[in-house]
Amino acid sequence: MLEFILEFVKTYWAQLARVIIVPGIAFVLLFDLIAVWFERKLLAHSMLRIGPLHVGKVAGWLQIIADFIKLLAKEINTPRNANRLLFNSLPILLVVIPTTGVAFIPFGQNWIIYNPGGLSLLLFLAVMSLTVFMPIMIGWASNNKYTIIGSLRAGYVYISAEIPILLSAIGVAIMAGSFDLVKIVEAQSKIWFIIPQVLGFIVFVIALLMESERVPFDIPVAEQELVLGWRTEYTGINFGFVMMSEYSAICSWSLLLVTLYLGGYNGPLIFGDRLISSISWVLIKLAIVVTALILLRSVFPRYRIDQALKISWHYLIPLAILNVIISAGLTFFFPQLKALIG
Amino acid sequence: MSEETELMRISWGPQHPMSGQFRLILETDGERVTKIIPDLGFTHRGIEKILEFRNFVQGIVPIERLSMLDAANFNLAYVRAVEELADIEVPERAKYIRNILCEISRINSHLYAFGLVAEAAGGYPAVFLWTVADREPLLDLAEMLTGARWSYSFFVPGGVRADIPKGFKEKCLETLRYLENRIAKYKECWLDNKVFKARTVGVAYLSPKDAIRLGAVGPNLRSSGVPLDLRKDEPYEAYGEVDFEMVVLKEGDCYARLLARYLEIVESIKIIRQAVQNMPEGPIISLPKPMKKKTETLQDLLRLAAVGRFTVPKGEALARVESARGEVDVHMITDGSAKPYRVKIISPTFRNLYVLSRLPEIEHIRVADIPVILYSFDPWYLDADR
Repeated sequence: MLEFILEFVKTYWAQLARVIIVPGIAFVLLFDLIAVWFERKLLAHSMLRIGPLHVGKVAGWLQIIADFIKLLAKEINTPRNANRLLFNSLPILLVVIPTTGVAFIPFGQNWIIYNPGGLSLLLFLAVMSLTVFMPIMIGWASNNKYTIIGSLRAGYVYISAEIPILLSAIGVAIMAGSFDLVKIVEAQSKIWFIIPQVLGFIVFVIALLMESERVPFDIPVAEQELVLGWRTEYTGINFGFVMMSEYSAICSWSLLLVTLYLGGYNGPLIFGDRLISSISWVLIKLAIVVTALILLRSVFPRYRIDQALKISWHYLIPLAILNVIISAGLTFFFPQLKALIG
Repeated sequence: MSEETELMRISWGPQHPMSGQFRLILETDGERVTKIIPDLGFTHRGIEKILEFRNFVQGIVPIERLSMLDAANFNLAYVRAVEELADIEVPERAKYIRNILCEISRINSHLYAFGLVAEAAGGYPAVFLWTVADREPLLDLAEMLTGARWSYSFFVPGGVRADIPKGFKEKCLETLRYLENRIAKYKECWLDNKVFKARTVGVAYLSPKDAIRLGAVGPNLRSSGVPLDLRKDEPYEAYGEVDFEMVVLKEGDCYARLLARYLEIVESIKIIRQAVQNMPEGPIISLPKPMKKKTETLQDLLRLAAVGRFTVPKGEALARVESARGEVDVHMITDGSAKPYRVKIISPTFRNLYVLSRLPEIEHIRVADIPVILYSFDPWYLDADR
C-alpha cells in the first residue's frame, strides 16, 4: 500500500502539487484567511484604529483562525419554516463554486490544474456565473424579509455585472486571438493588455466590484439597510462558509483580472527558476489588486441599487461593446499590431 | 404600483445594526417605501416625572440623561428656566463659560452625526471612525474644564460650578486649530465624494413650507432655507456678544442637512475662539435676590439646596435653548417649594421624527435611502422618549 502511494506521488507529483498546494486548496484557504486578516488590519489603520492585536503575538495573526474555530463551535440555527435542505446545503456549494474557478487560472506556462483545450476563459466564466443562483435560492430558503430583498438585489446586481465582464473579456480574447488563458498570458509577454485594452480594464474592474459584492457595490448585503442581506439568517459555520465564499470569489475574480490585463505570470525571473518566479509574480500582482479592492472600502459609501443598475446598463455595457468593436477593428485592420504586442 | 400589490411590512429595528433603540415600521413595495412609521418608546424613563422629585440643583443630573452627547445644552435649558423663575442675574463670566461648554457639546454632537450619516450611506467608511476619534481632544477639553468627559452637570442655577483652569485658553486654541485641520479633511474625502453625493443629493427634499408645516427644528429646518436659530433670534447667555453666522442652506435634501452640520462646526469653532479670548473677569455664580450675600460661592448654593432652602417663587417659565439638534424648550411650573411642580420638556428629536413620518415625496424613497434619511435628521431617541 505504502509503495503504491509512493509510486502514485512520484508519477503524479506535479498534478498533486497543483491541486493541493498552488493554485489549489491550500492556496485558496490561506488566501481567505490572510485576506480577512489583511482587510481588518488595513481598514483599521485607515480608520485610526489598530485592529486585531492580541491573539498571536505579531499583529494578531491568529485572530482569524480563532474566529474560525469559534464559528465551528457555534450552534447552527435553522429558522422556523425555512427550507432545511437548501438552507443548510447551499453554503457548501457557495464555497465550492468560486473556488473551482481557480482551476483554470495559469500560474505558470504549464502550471494549471485543468486546461480544457483552449476554452479555459469561457469555462471559467461559465462556472463562476453559477454563483448567481445561490443568493436567490438562499434568500428564498431562509424565509425572512431581509433575505428576500437582499437576494432579489443580488440577482439584479450579479446579472448586470456578468454581462460587462463577459464583454470586456471578449475584447481581450479577440486581441489575443484565443480563449485559452495560457495563450492570453503569452500574448502579453511584451505589453500587458491593460494598455491596449484600457477601456475594457476599467469596465472589468467596476464589474468585478459588483460581482464580488465589494464596496461601493455591496448592495445585496447592505448592512445598514438589510442587516446582512441574503446572509442574514446564517449562524455558526454556515456563516463562516458564506464569508469564505466571498473571499474565494474575490480570489478567483482578481486572478482573472491579473491574467487578462496584468500579464498573468509574466515578469522577470526574480527567483531564477522559471516556475517559482511565475507563481510569485501571480501572487504579487494578486496582492496588489486585493489591496486596492480593500482600500476602496475605506473611501466609498454604497451605491443604491437603481444607481448601480444604471451604471451597468447605461455605461459599462455600451463601453464594453465599444471596446469589443475597437479591439476587433484594431486586430482586423492592423495585423502588424499583433506582432508588436506579442 | 397596481392595487393588487401586496405590501411588505418590515420592522426596521430595534434589533438591527443601524437602528439604535428605536424602530421604524416600513411598508415596502419591493424597493419602494410607501410608508414610514417611527415607533418610539423603547427608552422611556419618565424623566419629566423624575424631575418633580428632585430639587433645583439635583434636577440638572436627570435632565442631562435626555441627550448625553449634547448634555450642556439640555442642562442649560433647565437651568435657565430656574433662573427666570428665581430671578437670578447670571454673572458675565459665567455666561461666557457656558457658551464655551455649549459649543464644545454642539461640535461633539455634530461630529457624531456626521459620522453616522457617513456610516448610514454604507460600507463602514473610515470617516465614521475619524469623527469618533476627533471627538477625543474635545472630550479632553471638557474634562479639563468640568472634570467629566461627558454628562458634565456643570451649569447650576445662577452660574457655573467652576472657573476656567490655568492653561485652558492655550489648550483650547490648540484643540480648535487641530479640529479645523481635521474637518478640512472630512470635506475633501467625504463631502466632495461623488458616490456620497449620488446617495444624498436630492434625497428626501424638504421645502421651506413643508419644513415649517411639519415642524422641523434645528439644522434640519435651517438647511431647508428657513433662518431660525435662537442663538441669533433671541440671543441668550453671551451669544449676542460674539460674532458668528447663522448657517442657512437652500437645498433641503440629505446632503444639505449634513452640510449644515458641517458648517455649524466651523461657526462653533469661531464662537469658542472668541469666547475664550474675550472673556471678562468677575464672579462665576450668583444667588437669588432674597439669598444674596457679599461673596457667593458654589458651596453656598449647594448648602441652601441640601437643606431645602433654595426655593423659587410660585410661577411659570419657559426657557428656550438652541441645542445641537434644534430648539429644546423646558416649561417649568413651580408652587413655591424647593422642587418644581411640573416640568414639561419639548425635545428636538421628537419633532424631527414627526417630519420623518410625514415626509413629502415619499414615492421617490427606496429602502436603501431609509438609514441615510433617518440619520440625516440626526435623531437621538433618548430625548424623544424622555
